[in-house]
Amino acid sequence: MQIYTIEALLLVFLIFITASIIYCRDILSSVYIYSAFSFCAVLLYLMMGSPDVAFTEVVVGTVSTIFYVISLKKIDRWCK
Amino acid sequence: MMKDPFGGIILNIAFRMLVPFSVVYAVYVLILGESSPGGGFQAGVVMGFGIVLARLILGEDTVQFNIQAKNSLALAGFGTFIYALAGWLTLFGGGKFLDYSFLPFTAEHAHELHALGILMIETGVTICVMMTILNIMDVLVRRSEDDGSVQ
Amino acid sequence: MRGFVITVLALLTGLFCSSVTYLPTIGNPYSVPNQHITPVYIARSEIDTGSPNIVTGTLADYRGFDTMWETTVMFLSGLTATLILSKSTVGRRPEKEDDYE
Repeated sequence: MQIYTIEALLLVFLIFITASIIYCRDILSSVYIYSAFSFCAVLLYLMMGSPDVAFTEVVVGTVSTIFYVISLKKIDRWCK
Repeated sequence: MMKDPFGGIILNIAFRMLVPFSVVYAVYVLILGESSPGGGFQAGVVMGFGIVLARLILGEDTVQFNIQAKNSLALAGFGTFIYALAGWLTLFGGGKFLDYSFLPFTAEHAHELHALGILMIETGVTICVMMTILNIMDVLVRRSEDDGSVQ
Repeated sequence: MRGFVITVLALLTGLFCSSVTYLPTIGNPYSVPNQHITPVYIARSEIDTGSPNIVTGTLADYRGFDTMWETTVMFLSGLTATLILSKSTVGRRPEKEDDYE
């Protein structure tokens, strides 16, 4: 029963994180919040019993954060 | 952005520990992917992450980790070719496409041929994914340096 | 218009939330997608592929053709990124070179 509680909490976290990614005014903050989204998704994948997908999500979340920051550097918008 | 190395003493020391660890761990994931969680995609992403990290910290001028975009693109195509080559080898051995029991090598049991075929295609997937990540990284960095919008 | 959109969205949300109860539970061995070919894979994976990991056996051996085109999609994504982002001079008129920046 406890594991379902944690899973429900993580799902609610995912909804809030997604809403805050959409409504955040600063793109760089959105990128950082997206890494939190990736972390919650990793925990959910681990609970559902697929460590392969969780492993991929860990590394891809890290690398995509680096790519987003480089792209933001390219379009010259660090902060608002 | 990447022309000058950033960091200082903490990042330099951490880099010396992180990059060999991630590359060795990627090889471990690739080889042991048959019997444990992992595989070609994961190994490629971990190895690409190690090289991206070295590129970010050491800057552009280091020769060891600097793979140009055209070379990495060609190597990504080569990884895909390795995958297809495994299929063609099974065709030459007399079987169907990607049926590893018909690989034209000598082995005592069909399981060894299957393990060899799986390792071959995972190597191809690893090279393709790693070089694709390095390619996108190199293209993004070069573009951000060239068009003069930085600072 | 805004009230109409909110009404439609609320209706769709209620519909989805009510349809969640008809989904099979995770790990139920008697649900429909777990009865078609999954028992065959679970029973014969180690015999057929020699791999103790069912995921690798399915991904690389039973579904090898699928994974090959997945790898091709990865390669094509890198190729597309290079074609869009790189500063190539192919197909670019020299007198208007400044306009492309």
